[in-house]
Amino acid sequence: MTIRVATMGLTVVVGMLLVIQGGCSKKSIQSGGDAQSSDRGMAKSGGPAPSAMGSMGSTGGLDAPSATFPDLSLSSKPQDELESGGLRGFDSVSGGKAPSEERLGGGGTMLAKVEPSESTARQIEDIRREQAKEQAASAEAGLRDVFFGYDSWTITEEGRQSLTQDAQWIKGNAGALVKIEGHCDERGTLAYNLVLGEKRAKAVRNYLVELGVGANRLAVVSYGKERPFCNERNESCYQQNRRGHVVVRSK
Amino acid sequence: MNRIIIGLMIALCVVVGAGLLGILDSRATDVFLEATRPDFQKIPIGVFGFQNGGGPEWLGGRIEEVLRADLQRSLVFSLVDLPGIGVKAREVTTADKAVFKQAAENGVSVLVWGKSGPRNGSADSELSMDGFVYDSGSDEVVGGKRYVGSTSVVRLMAHRFADELVFRYTGEPGIARTKIVYVAEHGNARELFVMDYDGYEPKQITADGFLDLMPRWSPDRRFIVFTAYRSRNTQDIDILELATGKRWTLVSMAGLNITPALSPDGNFLAFASSQDGNSEIYKLDTRTKASHRLTVNQGGDLSPTWSPTGREMAFTSDRGGAPQVFIMSADGSNVRRLTYEGDYNAAPAWSPRGNWIAYVCRTAQRLYKLCIVSPDGQKRVQVTTGPGIDDSPSWSPDGRHLTFSSTVDGKSHIYMVDTDGKNVERITFGGTHNSSPSWSPAL
Repeated sequence: MTIRVATMGLTVVVGMLLVIQGGCSKKSIQSGGDAQSSDRGMAKSGGPAPSAMGSMGSTGGLDAPSATFPDLSLSSKPQDELESGGLRGFDSVSGGKAPSEERLGGGGTMLAKVEPSESTARQIEDIRREQAKEQAASAEAGLRDVFFGYDSWTITEEGRQSLTQDAQWIKGNAGALVKIEGHCDERGTLAYNLVLGEKRAKAVRNYLVELGVGANRLAVVSYGKERPFCNERNESCYQQNRRGHVVVRSK
Repeated sequence: MNRIIIGLMIALCVVVGAGLLGILDSRATDVFLEATRPDFQKIPIGVFGFQNGGGPEWLGGRIEEVLRADLQRSLVFSLVDLPGIGVKAREVTTADKAVFKQAAENGVSVLVWGKSGPRNGSADSELSMDGFVYDSGSDEVVGGKRYVGSTSVVRLMAHRFADELVFRYTGEPGIARTKIVYVAEHGNARELFVMDYDGYEPKQITADGFLDLMPRWSPDRRFIVFTAYRSRNTQDIDILELATGKRWTLVSMAGLNITPALSPDGNFLAFASSQDGNSEIYKLDTRTKASHRLTVNQGGDLSPTWSPTGREMAFTSDRGGAPQVFIMSADGSNVRRLTYEGDYNAAPAWSPRGNWIAYVCRTAQRLYKLCIVSPDGQKRVQVTTGPGIDDSPSWSPDGRHLTFSSTVDGKSHIYMVDTDGKNVERITFGGTHNSSPSWSPAL
């Protein structure tokens, strides 16, 4: 029994050493691999335009503009910072000795308070106003939406008729810009529904382009299942939410 | 019993071994400890009361209640009903040897108790909590803790004591002080919130007024990455520093910019963007800002999740027509399909221990439930059952639980469940739409 325990203890300590060792070599292998794949990935995809990459990190509109990203590397943080609030084990209390005091700070000091600033309040108001304006303009134009089947982004015959009418209005109003919002019902995952919503919006856009509308006048955005038109749990409601919503853009 | 002693010895050896080496890396995910094995026998623990010495009336009871819930959820301990085995003492001191012995003879391995009250005796001072531990293996009071702080940290005192106990008996830090970031409806908008892992202390962390979605933790718990609709028409991937509220835009490409996930070392951000037409997975080096595309096909690729070693990713792809889970190397090579059962499998989450990938599976009855599959595809288990749309599984850092959203009670709320499908526990109660939970790493 004692031997068994001792052996296991030794194994664990040796194991720890191996894990630590492994951690180091892993890192060097990984960075090597990344350097390689970086070249290949670029070549394969034809490379995302360098300008697109250059624009990343731009922080227009944010309160704290910063040219560089924060340092997210785990290894660059001092261990005690990572372990701050780390566990210290139990103190001996033999002979009636009291444990040493451990002070727990603030409760929620880890989180900065969110105080909606004037600028965010303004932004929220802008969103509301813009949305109301779009709704009014779209209603006036008589734009029709397109509805989809479960899991589907194929435009139906009925959808094609609606879009033929929409295309006529868009072509007849040369200055108007149009946005197509892709929406989904609540079934399925949040993430995949964002992709599905985009497929629906793009299917609508592509059909409008086929009908002769200039692609530069059409924007697409997906809201997945995050901005439903109807909140009940039945097929007629689901049908309302599987939608390509065609709206006149306010700007 | 032997197993428990051996487990304890291993735990001590790990601690001592790590101590000797001057490091204690709680994120070493390759070490499998006893408590993760399916045949692990839980350690019987008895909780006596926490005497209240002049503090608020609720103090002792609150500490005991939080501690009990934490120990139960740890899955390391099983709570023994002390009166049920004839051990009646509610208030004990370190000198109550006879009570300890009686409990030990009835199969209790560990006993805890304590006292609480104003630190200096005066009613307006800070609060303090003492907790003590008796171990039947060594037949002695092995030690104690004393925590002090304001009323707002009382739950944290109990959480911390629970984590110390888990640490002592497994060598792992425990999950009682972990947090969950999630999306909640606020006005007409969806904003980010952070709460304790048991659903208490929710705090709003964004106020953008439209849609903030799919938050994920940085490995050091200091940052949250998420998708923010900058206007109603475009999306960015932003990163928010929790302590300061400072914010940066990491990705602002054309089209959808969704499902961000930082690598285990924090150096890379994997995400999906549709700037090239359909949704593809990209990898951004957060140090150099260099970014490149990993997937190339006509289908939608999204929801990357890193293996704990950072060498591979699982992701969702509908390249075959319907969404399925795939795995690839972190450089985009060696892509293979992982899920074959059913025609809708999505939102994968690789467990911090590496041995499971959780995802949303659509069942034969067309219900959206949680499943787990081993990375080699050999083992597959459906975790949740019954009605409701389950979504966004995220692992606890100990790999024993999943948090997820479900509409089982009508409105969408956040739940947790053990990986064997037991102990489904709802953890949000307020609000009209809580979704997209992500469990923080352990401290």
